[in-house]
Amino acid sequence: MDTKTEQPDTVIHQPQRLKIMAALKALPAREQLEFVRLKTIVGATDGNLGAHIVTLEQSGYVEVEKDFIGKKPRTRVRLTRAGRRAFEDYIAFLREIVGQE
Amino acid sequence: MPIQRQDAASALQEIANTEKQSHTAYHYQKAAPHLFLWGAIWLIGYAVTYLRPGWYPLWDVLIVLGFVGSFLISFRTRGKGSHASFGWRYAATFIAIFLFVTALFAILPPQSSLQIDAFFPLLIALWYVLIGLWTRGTRIALLGLALGLLTVGGYFWLQHYFLLWMAVVGGGALILGGFWLRKV
Repeated sequence: MDTKTEQPDTVIHQPQRLKIMAALKALPAREQLEFVRLKTIVGATDGNLGAHIVTLEQSGYVEVEKDFIGKKPRTRVRLTRAGRRAFEDYIAFLREIVGQE
Repeated sequence: MPIQRQDAASALQEIANTEKQSHTAYHYQKAAPHLFLWGAIWLIGYAVTYLRPGWYPLWDVLIVLGFVGSFLISFRTRGKGSHASFGWRYAATFIAIFLFVTALFAILPPQSSLQIDAFFPLLIALWYVLIGLWTRGTRIALLGLALGLLTVGGYFWLQHYFLLWMAVVGGGALILGGFWLRKV
């Protein structure tokens, strides 16, 4: 059975955070995704998604921007350059295990 | 704990699925306001020219308003990563379409106003199908296909009510399509 003993980036390795990173990575560079849309894509609850975004933000992988549309609050998230690089490294790590590279 | 090959493959598949979903949602979000705008323009334009055939020049005003409106929507919703050349590329796109239509009508002049009334919806239907195909936006492609079929159907089977048909069904389909895209 093929395994890899080297440890992956633990921040991204968590399944929900991995999906958040994948959703953001699919956007053009510097594009933002609204919290509500991200919630639908990831399939998470408000609280759960919020907590994961804080973790990713603290790691410098995402940036959060909050503003108002009229009186309605809006939260948007985007991948940072460090986040993009970390995600690409993680993908390379997975591919190495699978044997695609 | 080491990661096994099967887990890694499963994670890669999950990533690919999420990326596809996000990519599609991104394009739908960008497209929806344009559909609302052009749906309203079709509804007004076709309904007015059905009820008041002499008011055809209204289309000139509506089309200019549509282009300006689409430009403003695209400008406001463009991402921070968009190129500074956005405005020029947008203008060049519409100039290219304008030149194409002018050349086409010079080579193949329409024999009736009904042909012109049907041609532009077909052009837009084709545009949506192509955008849908190239951005992996199934819903946009389906919407374009539906618009094309409705236009052709109305042209051949409802000629006397074609303008009304395009106002209600064509304009309505665009507006409903906008809501459909926003639901992702």
